[in-house]
Amino acid sequence: MSPVSTALTREQTDLRQTVADLMAKRSPQDEVRRLMAADGGYDPAVWAELAALGLLGLIIPEEFGGSDAGAAELAVVAEQMGRALLCAPYLSAAVLTPYLLLGIADAAECAEALPRIAAGELRATVAFAESGSARPPQHPGTTAVRTANGWSLTGEKTFVLDGVGAGRYYIHAESDSGVGIFAVDPGAAGLAVSALNTVDQTRRQARITLADTPARLIGAAGAAALDAALDRAAVALVAEQAGGTMQCVQMSTDYARTRYQFGRAIGSFQAIKHLCVDMLLEAESACSAARHVAAAFDAEEPDRLTDLALAQAFCSDAFCSVAAATIQVHGGIGFTWEHPAHLYLRRARTDAQIFGDPAWHRERYVRIREES
Amino acid sequence: MTDDDIRTEVRQWLAQNWDPGADRTGWTQRVFDAGWSAPSWEPEWGGRGLSDAQSRIVAAEFAAVGAYGTGADRADMLACTIHDLGTEEQKLRLIGPSVRGETRWCLLYSEPGAGSDLAGLRTRADRDGDDWVVNGQKVWTSFAAHADYGLLVARTDWDAAKHKGISFFIFPMRQAGVEVRPIHQITGESEFNEVFITDARVPHANLVGEPGGGWAVLQLALAHERRLMGDLARTSKSSGDLKPDSNSLIGMARAAGRLSDSHIRQEIAVVEGYAAVNRWNTRRAKNTADKAEAATLLSLGKIAMSRILHETARVQTEIAGGETMLAGPDHPVGDAITFRALNAYFTSIGGGTDQIQRNIVGERILGLPKEPEPYRDTAFRDLPH
Repeated sequence: MSPVSTALTREQTDLRQTVADLMAKRSPQDEVRRLMAADGGYDPAVWAELAALGLLGLIIPEEFGGSDAGAAELAVVAEQMGRALLCAPYLSAAVLTPYLLLGIADAAECAEALPRIAAGELRATVAFAESGSARPPQHPGTTAVRTANGWSLTGEKTFVLDGVGAGRYYIHAESDSGVGIFAVDPGAAGLAVSALNTVDQTRRQARITLADTPARLIGAAGAAALDAALDRAAVALVAEQAGGTMQCVQMSTDYARTRYQFGRAIGSFQAIKHLCVDMLLEAESACSAARHVAAAFDAEEPDRLTDLALAQAFCSDAFCSVAAATIQVHGGIGFTWEHPAHLYLRRARTDAQIFGDPAWHRERYVRIREES
Repeated sequence: MTDDDIRTEVRQWLAQNWDPGADRTGWTQRVFDAGWSAPSWEPEWGGRGLSDAQSRIVAAEFAAVGAYGTGADRADMLACTIHDLGTEEQKLRLIGPSVRGETRWCLLYSEPGAGSDLAGLRTRADRDGDDWVVNGQKVWTSFAAHADYGLLVARTDWDAAKHKGISFFIFPMRQAGVEVRPIHQITGESEFNEVFITDARVPHANLVGEPGGGWAVLQLALAHERRLMGDLARTSKSSGDLKPDSNSLIGMARAAGRLSDSHIRQEIAVVEGYAAVNRWNTRRAKNTADKAEAATLLSLGKIAMSRILHETARVQTEIAGGETMLAGPDHPVGDAITFRALNAYFTSIGGGTDQIQRNIVGERILGLPKEPEPYRDTAFRDLPH
C-alpha cells in the first residue's frame, strides 16, 4: 500500500470552501448560460478575481509570483470549477501553460511570462493537436524553419483550448533539429486564429493556421516537456471531471427525491434508486481517482503514470455515463435545452477527448505495464 | 493509557507469556485473565476497558507473533450480542466460554423463504414451560456441524406484524431434532449448510431481549457482523481472498498469445481501472476525518467488489477462450477461470444481494425514499405468500 494520503488537510478544506463560495457567486447557471453565448467565453472580471485570490498562480513557484502549490491543491480547485462548469480558460492558461514553461525551464521565458500569468496579465495557451487526434503527434505537420532573427512556423493546429484572444501561443512544431515548443505572439504575420464551433460552449477551442509566422524557440527539450505538462495538467482535468460527475449525482438525487409520479417520489422506485447508486459509485470513484493521482504526482510515486492512465480513462467514462444517466433520470425536463443536464454531458464528452480519449489512455496503461 | 503504552504492554506480556506449544485451553484462559480476550470490554468479560482502536492494536500485536485468542469484542458474534443485550446470568454463563473458544457458534438467520426479506422468516418457536420448541429450516449457515450454539431468529407471535413477532435465541445445536446438511454450491464446494430443526428445544433462559423484540437484537448482531466484514475488507492481509487476481491479466494474456489483441488490451485496462479506483476509494475512506465521506465510500465497497470480480472473470474468459469450456486438473487455466466466474456470486449475493445493498445505499446515503410497505402493520399470518 502506498504511503500517499488522499485526505484533505485543513488548508485544502479551506481552499475548497473558498473556491466553492466563489463558484456559487460567480458561476451560477444563469452566468454559465450568459458566458456560453458571449463572445469571449469568459468574464474578465472573474478572471481578475481568480488572479487576486492567487488561483491563476496556484502552481507557479513563488519566485515567479505564484503560490507554489502542489497537484493536490490544484485538484481541489479544479474539482469545484468542474462542478460549476466555470466558463474560463483556467485549464489552458493557469495549468497547462505554466506546467509547460516550468518543464522546459527556459529561464528568460519563465521570468517574463509566469509572473504575468499569475497576475492575470497574460493569458496564454498551448497549441499541440493537429487534425485527426487530440494528442500531440509524434511528428507534427507544423514545421519550424530557422530564419535570420529566429524561427518561422508553417502549419495548422486544431483543438486549441481558448485559442481566440490568447495573449501568446506556445506551438508544438518540428524543425530540422527535432520537435520543440515555439512562442508566437498575436498579431504575428501569417497567424490566423478562428473559433471552432464546439459542442461544449463552456470550453472554447480554436483552429490556428501559421504561414511563415515569426516565432521564438523556447528552451530545448520541448517534446518531452509537452508530454509531461499534459500529464500534470491531466491531474486538473480528472478533478474537473470528478467535480462534474459529483454535481450530476447531486442533481439527479435531488430530482429523484422531489419528482412525484404514481403518487410516489420517483427515487422510491428501484429502477431509479439503483441507477442513482450506480452513478454515486462512479462519482465517488472518480473523486478518489482524482485525489489519488494528485497525491501520487506530489509524491512523485513511481507508478503515477499508469495510475494516471487508468484515472483518465475511468474519469472520462464515469463523467460521460453519469451525465448521460442524469438526463435519463430527469426524463422529459432533462431533454430540454433549458435544463443544465445536457451542459454537463457536453462538457463530459469534450473532456473525454481533449487530452486523449479513454481508449488511448487504456492502451497507454497496458503499454507501460508490459514494458516494465 | 496512550496507544504506545498499550502496544508496549501487550508486547511485553506476549514476550513473557506466549508459547506456540501451549495447550489451547490454558492459553485462552490466560489471555482472558489478562484482559486481552476482548480488550474493549470490562475486566469481568475478558477485557480492560480499552477503546476500539486500542483493541485493534492488541490484535495487531497478537498477529505479529502468531498468537490467538484476542479480538472477541469484534469477531465473536455470540459474545458481542450477549455482552450488549444479555442478562447478567446470560453474560456469566455464555461470554467466558465463547471468548475462550470453549464453545462455538453459528448463525441461524436466513431461510429458504426469507433471504433478502429476512423479516419474512417462518421458523417458529412455541413456548412450552421453561422451554421454547423450535421447528423450521435455516440456510447458508457456516460451521453448523461443529457449533454448540446457533444465534437463532424465530417467529414467536404470528398475530403481530412481520418485524414485531420475532424473537432472538441462543439455541443449543447439539440435540436431537437438529440436522445439518451441507449445501452443494455451483462452484462444487460446500462451505455452507442447511439446518433442519424439528421439535428441538431452547431454554427460555436463552432468549435474548424480550419475546417479539428479536428484530432489534438482530440488527445489533448484524451491525457487529458488518463491522467485522468491514475490518476484514480493510486489512489487506485478511482480504487476500477477496482480491481479484487482476495483476496476472497481462501475464495471462501474454501466456495465451493474446496480448497483441487491442480488444483484450482495452478490456484488461478497464478491469484494472475498476480495481484501482476501488483501492483508492478504500484508502480515501481510511484517511478521511469526515465520517459521512467514509461511510459513503465503505457502503459502496461491496457493489464495487462485485463488479471487479465479475468483470475480471469475464475478461479472463475472453483471454482464455475455448479453454474455459473445459474443467478439471488437466485444464487448470479454464478450470480456475470458471471457478472465479461462478464464485463471483459469493460476493454479489452473499451477505445481502447487491440489489438490497443498492436499496440501502440509496436510502441511507442518498436519502431516497423507501418503497411503500403496504403490509407494514398487517398481522404476519395474513401476509400473502
